[in-house]
Amino acid sequence: MRVTRRHFMSGAAGLAVAGTAPLGLSRPARAASGTIAVWKFGGTPREVEFWAKQNEVFLKANPDVKLEYSYFNGQMRRQKMQAALQTGQIPDVIVGFGQDVPELATFKAIQPLNDLAGDKLAGWQERIVPQILTNGNFDGKLYGLPVYVDMAPFLAYNIDALKEADFDGPPRTWSELRDYAKKLTKPDRPGFAFPATTAPGDINIFESVAYMNGGRVYDPATGKVTLDDRGVVDALQFYVDLVKDLSTPSAASMAETNFRDTAQLFAQGRVAMWIAFSWLNTPWGTPETLNWTGAPFPRPDKPSGGQAPVNALMDSSAILFISASTQNPEAALSYVDFWSQNEQLLMWDGDPEYSRIPAAKAAWDTPELAQKWPSWVEAYKGGTLFAGAEPIPRFVGVTQVETALGAAIQEAILERKSPEQALADAAAAAQQQIDLLK
Amino acid sequence: MILPVVFAVVGFVLGPAYDVFRLSFTRFIMGQEVAFGTLVNFKTLLADPMFLQVLRNTAIWILGGTLGCVVLGLALATFLAIESRVTTVLRALILLPWILPDVVTAMAWKWMLHGQVGIVGQTLQALGITERPMSFLGDPNFVMWVLVAVVIWRKVPLITLVLTAAIRNVPSELIEASRIDGANRWETFRYIVMPQIAFPFTAVTVISMIWMTAEFTLPWVMTGGGPANSSQIMSTYIYQQSFEFFNWGVASAMSVVNLLCLAALVTLYLTVMRRSWSRKE
Repeated sequence: MRVTRRHFMSGAAGLAVAGTAPLGLSRPARAASGTIAVWKFGGTPREVEFWAKQNEVFLKANPDVKLEYSYFNGQMRRQKMQAALQTGQIPDVIVGFGQDVPELATFKAIQPLNDLAGDKLAGWQERIVPQILTNGNFDGKLYGLPVYVDMAPFLAYNIDALKEADFDGPPRTWSELRDYAKKLTKPDRPGFAFPATTAPGDINIFESVAYMNGGRVYDPATGKVTLDDRGVVDALQFYVDLVKDLSTPSAASMAETNFRDTAQLFAQGRVAMWIAFSWLNTPWGTPETLNWTGAPFPRPDKPSGGQAPVNALMDSSAILFISASTQNPEAALSYVDFWSQNEQLLMWDGDPEYSRIPAAKAAWDTPELAQKWPSWVEAYKGGTLFAGAEPIPRFVGVTQVETALGAAIQEAILERKSPEQALADAAAAAQQQIDLLK
Repeated sequence: MILPVVFAVVGFVLGPAYDVFRLSFTRFIMGQEVAFGTLVNFKTLLADPMFLQVLRNTAIWILGGTLGCVVLGLALATFLAIESRVTTVLRALILLPWILPDVVTAMAWKWMLHGQVGIVGQTLQALGITERPMSFLGDPNFVMWVLVAVVIWRKVPLITLVLTAAIRNVPSELIEASRIDGANRWETFRYIVMPQIAFPFTAVTVISMIWMTAEFTLPWVMTGGGPANSSQIMSTYIYQQSFEFFNWGVASAMSVVNLLCLAALVTLYLTVMRRSWSRKE
């Protein structure tokens, strides 16, 4: 990419306040001994390579610890963890996803870190951005240590296409987006695309749009699935309207195109704008000739949901947990603490990894991040980056609800059902599944 | 001598089958067993509005796939049984779809059929058959039939080879005698060849039904049961219930229903085909 990335998220100032506490000082891990098993799920190729390399550094610093490290595809984490639970073979440390915290905690697969961490906790709080650290919380306790987050929704757009259509900046509201998408649409290039398969990432992207509209998918207080909330229904209606405007690829095509594929379409110049997480096209790259950038996704003209609009959802897809059944808590804690040190956390400071929003406070002062994502740094320092942001929906049964939501999105855009009907049916189906968990 | 086989069957077939039956009468919550001796899983299954659609899709999948495999396999086998250089080469080439790994096959077809970048849709558009590229796997009206077509492409080679061998084993004297008696090609095929290959034909049909029932990779990788659950079949729904929702009791109940349906279908088929074997004897 060229100079355009410098302007990425130039409008991120609309998001709210972040703490800018003084930099934490790195502290060496306390000596520990014994064998610990570590399972890491998911991550970009750069991250996976770095993780394995830093494990060697950990072993050098902790010569009495033996590390049994395994890496798995992120999409099989639930299956692996469930098998581990059944067989009692839970690894000492799990590098999983923040969305799994409630289920892992409820079924006592992981333990709270507050007491176990002791004086290390203060160091974590000192080094990690507080809004990101809260992604490890559940039921008032800290269960996991996140090393970065992704945020949604964001908009990637082709600058040249916008200029050609006489737009000098990205759309700011949903109605503007519809207008932009119509004007940007050409016979061989739709103006806008959204991924609409049943892949969790695609569903999470839609959830971020619905939450922005004041919608919620679940009410933890009552245990009720709320997919039929007005905010969710209107968000889905917004998707449907974009399809009906004929400014997207065909609905059937989007139902088979997930976020990675949509990124490819954008990179190939086959769509002018697309909605994504904060990583946008960075994990896959774009041709040098593509003049593109990103911005916060347009806001609803008038939020219609029953809850407070959420500016962005945070998804921590690398968060360290310690097993409730570990036989070697001290070594496990040393490993988690090792990954809380700036030497490790600065992996996500824009060099080498620039696809994530880093958890380390120190990362926000590095020239690398300022060069890669100047508007992120500006928003962070202005205290606006994490304002109104919340962790991605997470509760026991979230998979059931999101699976039903994924089917409802497809039913609505394919015009098999109205958004109201699709979401009402999905709510009923998900409620039935959730009730099985009680 | 027979003991190792007995152990293998008990350990790898009867043991897991017993477990599935037991689990189907056990209540689970997030993979944790909470009660045994309950019909709650079967009741949940019957109350699930998706289950009927899954049964309908599975019927299309098993019957369409089996019928397509055996009919196309028989047609190809009849041609490949003819002795010539061309058929000798084709008998080897036809195995190509069979030797590809499942996931590779599924991914390749997924991209070839993709609505925006797929070569199939683009070709149809270039030929003027469609106005814009079609999304074969994104259209709920097409998706099951497209999956059936792909699975036929995938499974038909082995069936063709088995039937080719069977046809080539039909005694040439019988065929010559029928011709001398004035039978045309169709009559020779219908009254001489078919009865002679009745047993292998039955075998490949039953095997096809079992393959279709057990097939998971192809539909899961190509569609994940979508769009809007329109390609959700028993195997994918059992996977979703067990490994995504951890409703192992419900998934086991579904497996039991699946097994009973398959057993009924195969029994019915074998009963009908037994007459053909009797005629041959």
